[in-house]
Amino acid sequence: MNPRTRLWLVATGGAGLAALLVAACLRLPDFGGDRHPYGDRAVRASLERHVANTVASVNFDQRAFDTLGELTILFAAVLGCMVLLRQTRDEHRAPPEPADVALPVRRYALLVLPVALLTGLYVVAHGQLSPGGGFQGGVVAATALHLLYLGADYRALERVRPIGPYEAGDALATSAYLVTGVAGLIGGSAFLANTLLPYGMFNTLASGGTVPLLNAAVGMEVACAVVVLLAGFLDQAVEIVEEGEDGERDDDGHDHEEPGK
Amino acid sequence: MHRLLPLLVAVPLLGAALLAALGRVLPRVVAESVGCAVSAGTAALAVVLLPHSSPPLVEWAGGWEPVRGYGVGIVLVGDGPGLGMAALVSLLTLAALAYSWRSFDEPPHGHTGAFPALMLLFQAGMCGFAIAGDLFNAFVWFELMGVVAYALTGHRVEEARAVQGALTFAIVNSLGGYALLMGIALLYARTGELAMAEIGRGLDAGGPPDALVLAGFVLVLTGLLVKAAAVPFHFWLPDAHAVAPTPVCMLLSGVMVQLGVFGVWRIHGTVFSGPGGLPAGDVERVLMVLGAVTAAIGALMCWYQRHIKRLLAYSTIAHTGLFLLGVGTLTPEGDDGVALYVIGHAGVKAALFACTGILLDRFGSVDEHVLHGRAGALRGVAVMFAAAALGLAGLPPFGTALGKSVTEEAVGGPLTVLYVVVSAVTAGAVLRVAARVFLGLGPRPREARGEDAYETTGNGEEPETEQRLVRVPDTMTAVPALLLAGALAAGAVPGFADAVARAMSEATTAGLVHTSVHWTPVGIVLGLVSTLLAVGLAAVAVTRPELLAPPARALPLRRLQSGHVGDYVAWLLVGTTVLGVLALPAVLTG
Repeated sequence: MNPRTRLWLVATGGAGLAALLVAACLRLPDFGGDRHPYGDRAVRASLERHVANTVASVNFDQRAFDTLGELTILFAAVLGCMVLLRQTRDEHRAPPEPADVALPVRRYALLVLPVALLTGLYVVAHGQLSPGGGFQGGVVAATALHLLYLGADYRALERVRPIGPYEAGDALATSAYLVTGVAGLIGGSAFLANTLLPYGMFNTLASGGTVPLLNAAVGMEVACAVVVLLAGFLDQAVEIVEEGEDGERDDDGHDHEEPGK
Repeated sequence: MHRLLPLLVAVPLLGAALLAALGRVLPRVVAESVGCAVSAGTAALAVVLLPHSSPPLVEWAGGWEPVRGYGVGIVLVGDGPGLGMAALVSLLTLAALAYSWRSFDEPPHGHTGAFPALMLLFQAGMCGFAIAGDLFNAFVWFELMGVVAYALTGHRVEEARAVQGALTFAIVNSLGGYALLMGIALLYARTGELAMAEIGRGLDAGGPPDALVLAGFVLVLTGLLVKAAAVPFHFWLPDAHAVAPTPVCMLLSGVMVQLGVFGVWRIHGTVFSGPGGLPAGDVERVLMVLGAVTAAIGALMCWYQRHIKRLLAYSTIAHTGLFLLGVGTLTPEGDDGVALYVIGHAGVKAALFACTGILLDRFGSVDEHVLHGRAGALRGVAVMFAAAALGLAGLPPFGTALGKSVTEEAVGGPLTVLYVVVSAVTAGAVLRVAARVFLGLGPRPREARGEDAYETTGNGEEPETEQRLVRVPDTMTAVPALLLAGALAAGAVPGFADAVARAMSEATTAGLVHTSVHWTPVGIVLGLVSTLLAVGLAAVAVTRPELLAPPARALPLRRLQSGHVGDYVAWLLVGTTVLGVLALPAVLTG
């Protein structure tokens, strides 16, 4: 198809879709209305189970089965990426060169690293109390580790994140979520039922029954998954070279890959 | 029993997590055994639950049963069709894993468990989608099966074509996913509900459909039809099937595409079939037009392929069209027929891919012309390939034939002719391949004069095994044989078809409207006619190739399959608009 025909098709199809969406949006409920059928019910259910953050209650209790799916999508995406980014027969590894880092950058990165890591863990741990939770905190914690790459070099990063244990951690965290679900089933109620543990005192770390457990499992899964995912892409950018290339790279290996999430 | 429904998802997920965790240390044979055992266990669970599906099993995940009619949880529905699909998915996953047993390429170092783990994740996603009673939950599992399928399609990353095919698949299907999500958002905005049945009730309470309902319908349908590979959303499928490993093709063509059709049936029936949804006449128009065009284009393109995997891929598209036609009748007979047809088709199509995989691993080619007369020694494979082709044509007593005859009666009129012709053309193409490749019949096809840039040859494909096979392993021949036996049993075992019909009626009308499904003289004659037509077409094509060679007129059609992702995205947009236009009268008159 030549570019002109394609453009014409995109214009026609896009115009049709746009017209459809505009017509639909005009029929949406008005902004700022007082009718929130699901929200009202979710808040009530959340308070019944002593979960201060309703979003966490929806994610890890009321619709925990959806979260299982989302968790496994990330897990599958990471596993798939590891398979696709594997070192193929026509590639070999070239050890990365030590890199010089400007002193202010190094100081800043090493100073911020523990703070960022702690922030990540805090966001995970307080998921059922305040905005945040496993998904967000996991990403923060995993990103914190990568400050070592900015502050030192790739070899330093590789020392603190051996891929094997993180891959295993990713899988184990997913299993932990599933095992908690099956425990709900064996414990006499339904799969992923939050009836096994006491709901605790409202607005404390131990409140909400299984919500903190599932939240922690997600936090661990997301942190491990992001580390493994970034490692896969960084390996491709820094270490793995195609047969026939000389293994020398022009840059110092500081390609900045964005996480896929 | 209903408490066990979530295990259909949890068991394969747990197996996958275990394989991924221990994948580095497990020897290959253990990893593959675990994969087979877990998928077999899930299949057994689905089969055990099936007899209890009347009345349908309903499970609220987490024990969140609705209080006074209002719920916050997620509902899983284990009715006959849902559990039946889950059983079909699980059995086919088991077949694919058994087929890849020791035959598939050596796994990447340190990732012994990765391939079986991905297959189990694929199974979990498909099972979850089959039993979802909640629209958003269905979307989540829909995405899981997508993500896994992209990775599995691109498994052979050494080949640029594999990466290209997987990327196209990923982009087009992700756009479909976004459309589905937008549709769900619109429906949620209107009703404040996510359970399918509740959304349906909410729409009915809102009076006749308006632009928002129309947009919700069109967007949800777009997402599902991309997965189902209906024209013009189908372009990703041949590109993905040509490069995906054979066991993956068995699942993609055998059940994943059909789950798209299943989703259309399920979501239309629970969400849009009431007075607040779309009027039946408009839905019928949408599905019938799309189904007929899909069937015709799929069959035509199937006939003009020489790359055997692409040929089978187009035959899947053609059959998707036939399924959509059956579902589009919106009658119990149409539903029953399609259900049986899907079961039979899964066995037949997976067997065809399995046989093609043997050719690929033995000769390093899947090109009809290059393989001319070379596979004569593989007698067993030849017999299975030809038998599967006859099953595709609808030769009684295959399950495909019974399903087809029931649907043919339901669609009636000129569409019956389309049914006969489309199944005959796709089966004829497969028989043509069988005659040339296994029997060496007819003149050796000459290479075309000016090599057509848009014709994909199947030569130069890498075998999936480490070296070319000298002896075909028993598992690789046993799997297609069992699949064919299953497809045969679906039509021949007395009572099976009736059980399927009963399950369908239980799911749609709570058992009030029961249609009896059986062989009719007309159905048998039509099945024989399409079989004879297929044999005739193949005979003419082999002996007088120039008579049925692609005319110059067909070239523009073939050029549409350009491999350019931008083209496919453009067609997706056009398709959405076409859906909107076809369904527009629902809003204008309502």
